[in-house]
Amino acid sequence: MTIDRGTVQHMARLAELAVTDADADALADQLDRIVRLVEQLTEVDGDAPSTDSAGVVVGPSRTPLREDVVAPIAMAHGPAEFAPAMQDGLFLVPRLGGMTDS
Amino acid sequence: MSAAALAAETATRLAAADARGLNAVLAWSEPLLKQQAALLDAAPAGPLSGMAVALKDNIVTTDQPTTCGSRLLEGYVSPFEATVVSRLRAAGGLVAGKTNLDEFAMGSSTEHSAYGRVLHPHHPELVPGGSSGGSAAIVAAGAVRAALGSETGGSVRQPAAFCGVVGIKPTYGRVSRFGLVAFGSSLDCISPFGATVADAAALLAAISGPDPRDATTLDLEPIRVPLPRADLRGMVIGVPQEYFPADLHSGVRAACDRAMSRLRDLGAELREVSLPHTRYAVPAYYVVNPAEAAANLARFDGVRYGQRRIGPEGDIRALYRATRGQGFGREVQRRILVGTFVLSAGYAEQYYHRAQAVRRRIIADFDAVFASGVDLLFTPTTPTPAFRAGEKTADPVTMYLADVFVCPASLAGIPAMSLPIGRDDGLPLGGQLMARSTDESTMISVAAALESVIDATAEVRA
Repeated sequence: MTIDRGTVQHMARLAELAVTDADADALADQLDRIVRLVEQLTEVDGDAPSTDSAGVVVGPSRTPLREDVVAPIAMAHGPAEFAPAMQDGLFLVPRLGGMTDS
Repeated sequence: MSAAALAAETATRLAAADARGLNAVLAWSEPLLKQQAALLDAAPAGPLSGMAVALKDNIVTTDQPTTCGSRLLEGYVSPFEATVVSRLRAAGGLVAGKTNLDEFAMGSSTEHSAYGRVLHPHHPELVPGGSSGGSAAIVAAGAVRAALGSETGGSVRQPAAFCGVVGIKPTYGRVSRFGLVAFGSSLDCISPFGATVADAAALLAAISGPDPRDATTLDLEPIRVPLPRADLRGMVIGVPQEYFPADLHSGVRAACDRAMSRLRDLGAELREVSLPHTRYAVPAYYVVNPAEAAANLARFDGVRYGQRRIGPEGDIRALYRATRGQGFGREVQRRILVGTFVLSAGYAEQYYHRAQAVRRRIIADFDAVFASGVDLLFTPTTPTPAFRAGEKTADPVTMYLADVFVCPASLAGIPAMSLPIGRDDGLPLGGQLMARSTDESTMISVAAALESVIDATAEVRA
């Protein structure tokens, strides 16, 4: 697999990240090196598909259950203190016109 | 010493570190130190009384900004406090300030901070390691006795080794992550630095234990600081050959040889073992970690917190793209793009699922060694001493390989620590101990025994 500018721009669109064409070229070169590094993983099992694709679980072997009660966390201040734009207790965003799949 | 006196002394030392241009601390204030000291002096003494603790700036407090070393979070102050911070305050600790880091904890040199690189505390032309480089440097500079960092793939052990201090990564789930800005959720561990094994262990003991606000914490009693061991008779310490390649830096090798000789002198049996999948840890890590990072960093969208930029199209999607494109630095962008790639349709099987399978093999390697009667593993922490600033920034892969000896324990979720074991040309070198899951106690007690018989400031090739 070779990473080119087109792949970078496609991933950037999926990740909602603006990347200029000039940056995409430099990123393509670096990502290509990273992908070549991770392709060493094929040495372990060759091309055999993984028979067990379940996630690796570290930590507790099962998610503990707790009492089904609301336990609010005391807040030192509200979101108006850190949100870029708020009005009447709501986060302000620009128009949603671009929310269609490209 | 009263907390008031500690606060005054800490302020003087932090000011001196700032004056040297170390750039290790992003935020601290004398009035805040005094305010905390008044509360501490009015409360009963605790296990951390007399200890000033600096916090990596991805651990939230309500009284100082949390930037994660990113422009995107410039000016952000959390509305709640991390569990570890509440616990260390309750134990009598004084919060010294917030330390510089690689942006969102992504890096191995603390050169990827939007607020400038951190200087190595003894050799300004070198890096302090990373991503918790600010925490390591400020402890090594003597401004505080301890600090908290975060580990995802070695971000405490590696800078501890480079700076000549102690860093302990606990078992995954030992310490609550409530209030740690998430990066790699199956890997992240808040981890302490200390000037000594005892200081790092005391801090770990104070912050460990289950937390109802973090469902990934283990339901186990908090760690206790183990009693010092007079000797190590009956202890089997495994030495994995994969961590001592032919091209290992000769100073690192000499320091490890000396440390292993001291462990033998203390009565331990050293046994050669094999962890055959070690060389695949970095490749597996650079699939799992970016995949988790891409998911976790989706929350930084310019809507709810931090800085926002409006893109040329003026709609919400343009806002997301411009905010993230301009707010994230280059290394963060690389990880997000790699993570998106390895999870994308057509590639997830080839990369992500394969990396998970390799991760299981790495865990199985450790399980097999510990099941064979080995109590602990000893290795170098890093393949080389601290490197020069700028040396590895052009090639991310070269930078990633600096973590080759620290990544495996992160993937396996087992406890691991670095302690200073000597110097080469004045540069600190670290030795790493790794233990079976939840056996921090054995690891810390052996580290303390080794620390007591080794002159870590002595040249190893005198």
